[in-house]
Amino acid sequence: MKPLKSSLVFVSVLAMLSIWGFIAVYRAGYIPSGLDVGIFAIIMISGVYAFVTHMRRYQAEKVGLPPDDELSTLIKYKAGYYAFMTSMYIWLFIFLFKGYFPDVETMLGSGILLSAFVAIGLKGYLARNFHENEN
Amino acid sequence: MTQVDLAKEVGVRRETIVFLEKGKYNPSLQLAHKIARTFDLAIEDVFIL
Repeated sequence: MKPLKSSLVFVSVLAMLSIWGFIAVYRAGYIPSGLDVGIFAIIMISGVYAFVTHMRRYQAEKVGLPPDDELSTLIKYKAGYYAFMTSMYIWLFIFLFKGYFPDVETMLGSGILLSAFVAIGLKGYLARNFHENEN
Repeated sequence: MTQVDLAKEVGVRRETIVFLEKGKYNPSLQLAHKIARTFDLAIEDVFIL
């Protein structure tokens, strides 16, 4: 199986298991809290994003275009650098407002997720507005 | 020649050709050479410094 096809299968199975798990827990009588619904939404958004990304890469490969090249690699590096610099401030603010989080796991999870979302957002922004002499 | 044709020829994504045309990306020497060879031109005839 090609790597892209296998990752498509992986993402689909992950999304299916998430939905199935959520329904199974819900049917067992457990009423999910706002935080549970939020976590589930984040999992689903990540799954959909990964699926769409892989579909695009797969379609590009099908017409004979490479899914990655020197510009996309440069964009990834730039987004990674900016996300890293931003995450310094994200963690500073998270530790400043740690009293607002219900537990340590939620606090750490929020920080990691926020950094990931910043990285994804920056990658998307740079992919549309890349300018070598300006960014 | 379309952007997709050129992208296929030189082995990059179509978006890279778009950014090159807009002047927002300076290609590597290797890519500049490939593009120039595709059009049977010298690098300095395709890219302006």
